[in-house]
Amino acid sequence: MELQLEVVTKSYKNKQVLKGISLIMRVGVYGLLGPNGAGKTTMIRILADVLRPTKGSILYDRKDIHAVGDEYRANIGYLPQNVSFYGDFTGRDYLEYSAALKGMEKTHAKKRIEELAYSVGLLDDLNRKCTAYSGGMQRRLGIAQALLDDPEILILDEPTSGLDPYERIKFRNIISAYAKDRLVLLSTHIVSDVEQIAAQIMMMEYGTIQHIHPGGEYVRMMEGRVWLVEMPAEQLVSYQNQAVISNVRAKGDCMEVRIIEDAKPASNAVQAMPTLEDAYLYLFNYLPQKAGR
Amino acid sequence: MPLLRFELRKLLLNKKTLILLLCLFVLYSVIGLTSTMFLIGGNDSYRAYEELAADWEGTFDSEKAAQAEKIYQEVSARYGTDARMIARSVKDQPEIILAVNYHAYAGRVKEYWNGTPPESAGEPYGIALLQKKVPELERQGKQDTSDYRELSDSLQRLKELGEPKFANTLLWENLFNNWGEHMMQFLLFVPLTFVIAPVFAVERSSGMDNLILSSRNGRRKIVTAKLLSVITASTIVVLLYLIATFLFGFLPHGSFHGWDAAIQSIPTYAQSMFQFKVWQLAAVGAAWLIFTGAVYSLIICFISSRMKSQIGTAGISLAILFVNVGLAAMGDTVTQRLGALVDLGLANVTMMKEVFGGSKVFSMFGMNVSYPVMAIFVLTAISAVVAFGTYLGQKSRAVA
Repeated sequence: MELQLEVVTKSYKNKQVLKGISLIMRVGVYGLLGPNGAGKTTMIRILADVLRPTKGSILYDRKDIHAVGDEYRANIGYLPQNVSFYGDFTGRDYLEYSAALKGMEKTHAKKRIEELAYSVGLLDDLNRKCTAYSGGMQRRLGIAQALLDDPEILILDEPTSGLDPYERIKFRNIISAYAKDRLVLLSTHIVSDVEQIAAQIMMMEYGTIQHIHPGGEYVRMMEGRVWLVEMPAEQLVSYQNQAVISNVRAKGDCMEVRIIEDAKPASNAVQAMPTLEDAYLYLFNYLPQKAGR
Repeated sequence: MPLLRFELRKLLLNKKTLILLLCLFVLYSVIGLTSTMFLIGGNDSYRAYEELAADWEGTFDSEKAAQAEKIYQEVSARYGTDARMIARSVKDQPEIILAVNYHAYAGRVKEYWNGTPPESAGEPYGIALLQKKVPELERQGKQDTSDYRELSDSLQRLKELGEPKFANTLLWENLFNNWGEHMMQFLLFVPLTFVIAPVFAVERSSGMDNLILSSRNGRRKIVTAKLLSVITASTIVVLLYLIATFLFGFLPHGSFHGWDAAIQSIPTYAQSMFQFKVWQLAAVGAAWLIFTGAVYSLIICFISSRMKSQIGTAGISLAILFVNVGLAAMGDTVTQRLGALVDLGLANVTMMKEVFGGSKVFSMFGMNVSYPVMAIFVLTAISAVVAFGTYLGQKSRAVA
């Protein structure tokens, strides 16, 4: 199974949100990282067939998804950024309605709803109204919906927003187990969500995929570029406008600052073990003046 | 079809809409009840009218007509010439109501034989008038024209129908007024607009478009389910109206008298060319309202599929309805100029008295087509276009 983007472009009036993205994805988990406004959601929506590209095409097993139509959508599970509900639907209604939209057979759907409600921890809440759910519960219900018909392609937009740490770990485990022979595309700006489970991580900015590598490669790339420097708090204020700082920690009278830089930033700087988050900040050159974008 | 079940639930079987439907049923019942009470007063008055009218029913009687004329002159000098106004003013005096009704009936008989006045804007009507016009066209060698076919057909039909008979159809007249006047468009079609408007627009405003458009059945089968749910919802709303006005129009007097009279006994349908009994017209009228309600609902559904908000959908739908009502209410010079646009516009076509109450025909491909047939043809074509447009719209729809 293969999903290919061919020079996909999306423009709104004069603004180009996606700039000719070309990419091939096969079985496995793909993480899509990027700052807000990078074009992640637009790309996800185009892949979920809820938005049409201005130019370019998407091929599913070398066939244009618009030509394949219903059969393509039958093979995808999609969790949008904002999960919405009808006011008087219970969790069960919502999942049954999703099953009807996916064309699932009734008894099979019923069984799957029970299974998934159990795995996302909503079995006891299925008969409550969705609008009475907490944000995390609504998100878990959305995840169950996306997984309902065992889709070959699972597209998740910010799946963990609103989940507590335990729920996020649980979610990661579900996705890891699920992705064995399927394609999972997971868009997020929470680096730790993809660090553990993604085989390939795509870094996206300004409507283009800037990098695509396994997570370990990003970490290796950062070796020798992450530093720990101790400095007084007053110095930090002026320093943080000139360097990419990934963490600050109080240590006695002074601050321990984690700095990302090619060269040794200070005489007392010592090298630290890099992480994917460091790579993210390094690649997007996340200086404070740029963070306001 | 599981999708239809959910679509029906979203559109109709939810708490808010059910409360609205209940309120509508109460409103329609009150309309049915008050309109019949205004017509003849209490049950005693109606019973008295029924007994008096029993002696007057049947073929035209010139003695009774003279008697009625005398009473009518006295009453109209006091209350004016509007029959409904007189009826309301003397609603507890059945003998006067009867005389006024017989007077109007005598006028209809006269029109049947002598024809409508020359200044009348309606279709040519009346044996003498048609007997004069048909040979005129023959002399001009216009036997192949649609005018000739229309007039000679009308003459033939009028002869077959025969002179109108007097019958006590008071309660049926009230029912048909409720089913076929402009008031019905406000009472029925305005609430219907608000029931149907969310059908597609709600998916956009709620964000459910994401889920629907990305699913296997979210581009075609969902449209079928939505169209069916719209037709079902509109049928239910129209049925509420029909049942409530029927039940509460007849219930206070406990009588269906006049059910098997010819529809030409009812003033509004005096010039109708259809050989219906009153009960048959009631059945046809009910079916007609259900049909036109469904067509109007499909138009709203199409608008909803193109709009982001329910209010916007309702606004445009009501604007279309009111523009049609406005055009139909324009003077004869405007309506004649716009011709079929007004005749087949929503305002006229939804009113059964317009469609079944006259002798209007349309010329199409050299054939004369009656108003109901033409209306069915046009409404079916509109339904097909909006349904196709809705499918097409959903196929290319994208999230905002």
